[in-house]
Amino acid sequence: MPIAYANFPYLTTILLTCVAGLLIILFLPAEQTRQIKRVSAVCAGVTLAISLYLFVAYDHAAGGWQFAEKVAWVPSLGIHYFNAVDGFSLPMLLLTGIVFFTGVLTMWELELRVKEFFALIILLVTGVFGLFMSLDLFFIFVWFDVSLFPMYLLIAVWGSTRKEYAAMKLTLYLLAGSALILPGIVYLVVKSGMFTFDLTVLMEPGTFTPSEQKLAFFLFYIGFGILAAVWPFHTWSPVGHVAAPTAVSMIHAGVLMKIGAFGILRLGMFLCPVGWQYWAPLMALLATVGIVYGVLAGLRQTDLKYVIGYSSVSHMGVVGLGLATMTVSGLNGAVFQMFAHGVMTALFFSSVGYIYDRTHTKAIAELGGLSRSMPLAAGFFIVAALAGIGVPCLASFWAELLVFIAAFKVYPVYAVFAVGALAVSALFMLRVVQRTCYGPPAERVAQLPDISPGLAVPRAILVSVIVLFGLFPSLMYNLIQTASIPFIGRLPW
Amino acid sequence: MTAATPDTVTTAAVLLATGLPFAAFALIMAALRGRPRLCAGLSIAAITVSLSAALLLLVRHWHMTAPIGAAAQWLVSGRITVSIGFLLDPTSLLMLTIVTAISFLVQVYSLGYMAGDPGFARYYGCMSLFAWAMTSLVVSPTMLQLYVFWELVGVASYLLIGFWYEKFSASEAGKKAFVMTRTGDVAFFLGLLLVLVHFGNLDILKMNAGDVPLHMPPAMITLSALLIFGGIVGKSAQFPLLTWLPDAMEGPTPVSALLHSATMVAAGVYLFARLFPFFRLSPTAMTVFLAIGTISMLLASTMAMVTRDIKQVWAYSTISQLGFMIMGLAAGGYVAGVFHLTTHAGFKALLFLCAGVFIHTFGTNDMFAIGRAGGRALKIPMICMTIGAAALAGLPPLSGFFSKETIMGRLAGLSNPLWLGAGLLGAFLTAYYTFRLIFAVAVPAPEKSGDEAPVGAPHGGHGGDPHHDRHYRLMAAPLVVLAGVTLALGWAHGALGRFLTAVDPGLDAHPAAHLAWLPYVAIGLALAGVLLAWVEFGRTASARIGFVERVEPVARLFARRWYIDDFYRWFLDRVVYARLSAFCDQGDRRVIDGGLDAVARGTVGGSRRLSVLHLSMVQYKMMVIFAVMGLLTLYFFLG
Repeated sequence: MPIAYANFPYLTTILLTCVAGLLIILFLPAEQTRQIKRVSAVCAGVTLAISLYLFVAYDHAAGGWQFAEKVAWVPSLGIHYFNAVDGFSLPMLLLTGIVFFTGVLTMWELELRVKEFFALIILLVTGVFGLFMSLDLFFIFVWFDVSLFPMYLLIAVWGSTRKEYAAMKLTLYLLAGSALILPGIVYLVVKSGMFTFDLTVLMEPGTFTPSEQKLAFFLFYIGFGILAAVWPFHTWSPVGHVAAPTAVSMIHAGVLMKIGAFGILRLGMFLCPVGWQYWAPLMALLATVGIVYGVLAGLRQTDLKYVIGYSSVSHMGVVGLGLATMTVSGLNGAVFQMFAHGVMTALFFSSVGYIYDRTHTKAIAELGGLSRSMPLAAGFFIVAALAGIGVPCLASFWAELLVFIAAFKVYPVYAVFAVGALAVSALFMLRVVQRTCYGPPAERVAQLPDISPGLAVPRAILVSVIVLFGLFPSLMYNLIQTASIPFIGRLPW
Repeated sequence: MTAATPDTVTTAAVLLATGLPFAAFALIMAALRGRPRLCAGLSIAAITVSLSAALLLLVRHWHMTAPIGAAAQWLVSGRITVSIGFLLDPTSLLMLTIVTAISFLVQVYSLGYMAGDPGFARYYGCMSLFAWAMTSLVVSPTMLQLYVFWELVGVASYLLIGFWYEKFSASEAGKKAFVMTRTGDVAFFLGLLLVLVHFGNLDILKMNAGDVPLHMPPAMITLSALLIFGGIVGKSAQFPLLTWLPDAMEGPTPVSALLHSATMVAAGVYLFARLFPFFRLSPTAMTVFLAIGTISMLLASTMAMVTRDIKQVWAYSTISQLGFMIMGLAAGGYVAGVFHLTTHAGFKALLFLCAGVFIHTFGTNDMFAIGRAGGRALKIPMICMTIGAAALAGLPPLSGFFSKETIMGRLAGLSNPLWLGAGLLGAFLTAYYTFRLIFAVAVPAPEKSGDEAPVGAPHGGHGGDPHHDRHYRLMAAPLVVLAGVTLALGWAHGALGRFLTAVDPGLDAHPAAHLAWLPYVAIGLALAGVLLAWVEFGRTASARIGFVERVEPVARLFARRWYIDDFYRWFLDRVVYARLSAFCDQGDRRVIDGGLDAVARGTVGGSRRLSVLHLSMVQYKMMVIFAVMGLLTLYFFLG
């Protein structure tokens, strides 16, 4: 694939903005919470603006890697600071920017340890940005771990419901994942005999034998799959979502889970296409089980955040199914679903976060009648639920459509189950909407104020993104295609 | 057959007809919710222009000989192309007119009916959404586009049925409607996928062109036809997915009028008409459709015979009439089915809007209570409802008579006389339950003193209230228009038939049987039904108890909707929640998490045990060192 070097280091600017924001916050006194929040918002806004610019400025006709920057880091080991974006990573950058920005705005009313919270959030997001743009395996692993470790503190300190248990569980799970990814990377780098961590070099066809690819792909699939909540490695996700504070849930479900799927795509499928082909039936099976299992398990949950956590399991199953089809449309659908689910779930968690902040409960049974007392907040929640059901003109519909079409050709039986889950998912989401938003206002809800205009802004941004890409999916698909068509085209079979 | 390119006026008219309701919806939802009057004005202005555009199109293309269409690529992904556009042929032009006309009338009526409701703005927003989804569905050139708007119609009806969300029954009904239709849509979607994979195209004209059998084996066609029909079963509330429709009465009455006549449920039958040539490729599937239509028609008729709720009677009659349309279409009568869809849209909207006036005035849904409270004092609704009821019962010279006759003719043409018998039985039952309601409202039982307080006198509590008079006029105007249509539309049968088959004469190829006695038998049965209703409910001395209600178990069976709902409840509670969902939930808690927690505990416990090896006692450590060295020495000397 062609590599077009940037005349201005946009990608590094994103990272440096985060680092600068982090440093400024570290040197601000902890009492100046307003300043800290402003710095975070500006930092998030700048990263969003740059990722939006890249999204628009990417040259569709040329395709390939663009805005590339490459600096030798440890030449003796073949490690480079090497960043570039393509049609797969740009949607992820944009997603990260959106969720970061709206997440910071959502936490505007935070009072507990403000400085530490925003510092950790920015650190986490730096890792995520770095991972999505990096083309060097060493850096990818470093960024991966940078994005994982703040999570433990964020949940354990600012969380709720069994937060220590959840934080520990999540950390152990994700570390187990990285314990598989690191051997995978080292194995491939050694086997290549080229002493380079450069992804663009290693992905050349014929670098690895089929058996090497099968082993490495499996390591990557499980390692990243844990993060993508692949069934049966998904149980950390509902527990973690429930315990995490709002913005962390948003970033966690919105972006961090995408790292998992993106890792499978970028490392697994790019480096080991034969391994991908070999394991694809397993991927499809686990993904389908996840889709069905997620909605069924979600039906019985009594905690609002558990419900959303299980819906994420189901939606990430759609991503997995798309990746397993090994077709252009399946890949397109999967990447689009990563984006759509990220925005949708961010909206979900930010709506629930507001409800929790005001009512101090997430128990569905104690809520009810929110539409009466806080119509706007309830409206956001309902939009998120409709998006979760896959209603047309909201973004995830187009993702599910393409994934199901592609899957129906390759795995008809799985596709039937996955499509069948749509009916259950409607029941599952609407049941929650009915119990929380409809009915007469519950006692603890009746006197509460509606969401203020300031806090409505981040939610409104998320809604407009969902509607925009729901009405004009080609804005996203035309971009993803620039990566997926050449990628499928150069596969060895 | 390919579609001809439209001229500028046509394109503009279609864009206006479909686009304006969307613009109204978007504006209302995004910005104007605080200004209800403006919202209503905007929504009605949009639907007025929409209706004018539809009428313009109908007039311009009355003599069309080839379908007109245009499409633009909306989304390209690999080899999959999603295009968006429009296709105008007689069926879609007719349907577009019906949809916009009924939406317009209902929105005007709602000005009176919904006045003062706190959700007034939201109501008009959802109405516009409904109008947008339905008009776009009607003009869809591909099945994919149709599916998109099909789902949106479902969303709009979910929002409107559950409009009064504080009532549990309303939110429950909205949810039920959405989930049940979604269940049908799963089959529909799978059917589309099957066609897409085997035939490679979801263009409606191509699917109907007749070369499908070259690409798909007959069994595959039958399978996909049956699956697609699943969507129709859900949307048109046919057996076995029929129970959501009577519950959907929880929405405001104008919504019911819209839902039952021209949108939502009509979409199902419209889809049947749209893919009629495709479905016809599979005789097996057509027979199944015929059976489902018949079962639904008869089941719903029996349910209508025992309910006291005025809206529920009309709801059951909708299911029954939709079943009748499906029978007509499945019997090969394209014109018959579409014609009945047309006439039904008119008189069913009329019936619901009349019912709405009664409910609005007396504050109850019970037909006997309305009768006791003096329902017949409301002259315009009473007369209009009787006209609509007579049309529903198939009495000449109203529109329902003509369309029912054409379907009867089709059924008579089938080799098996069973279908005609079922149709005639249905005609009798329909006339009976329809006039049961009319008599109950118009001829109240003589009041026994102290029996039950009247619910409210006509205009009770509003006496001379100018607002109320204005609302009454706003509501009465659409009734008069619809009653006029019901009176006149029957005579347009021949013209409509020629219009519908002008493009593709093959649609109505098989001639219907012309049995001279058939209309007389049908009228006779309908009159017998009316007579029976009069004997039981119309005479002053009658006991107001129907013949069905005298047999307790049967009445209960009918009233409980043949236990279909109980079955669903059982299935959901016992199978989905108690088995499947619990299995997954417990699987997570006990097996996956339980296993992991056990591993975690095992690790901690194991390391605690192993830590015995690291006691910090010098003697112990020395002992270990000597032992290990001793073992190593042995190993090297002996090995």
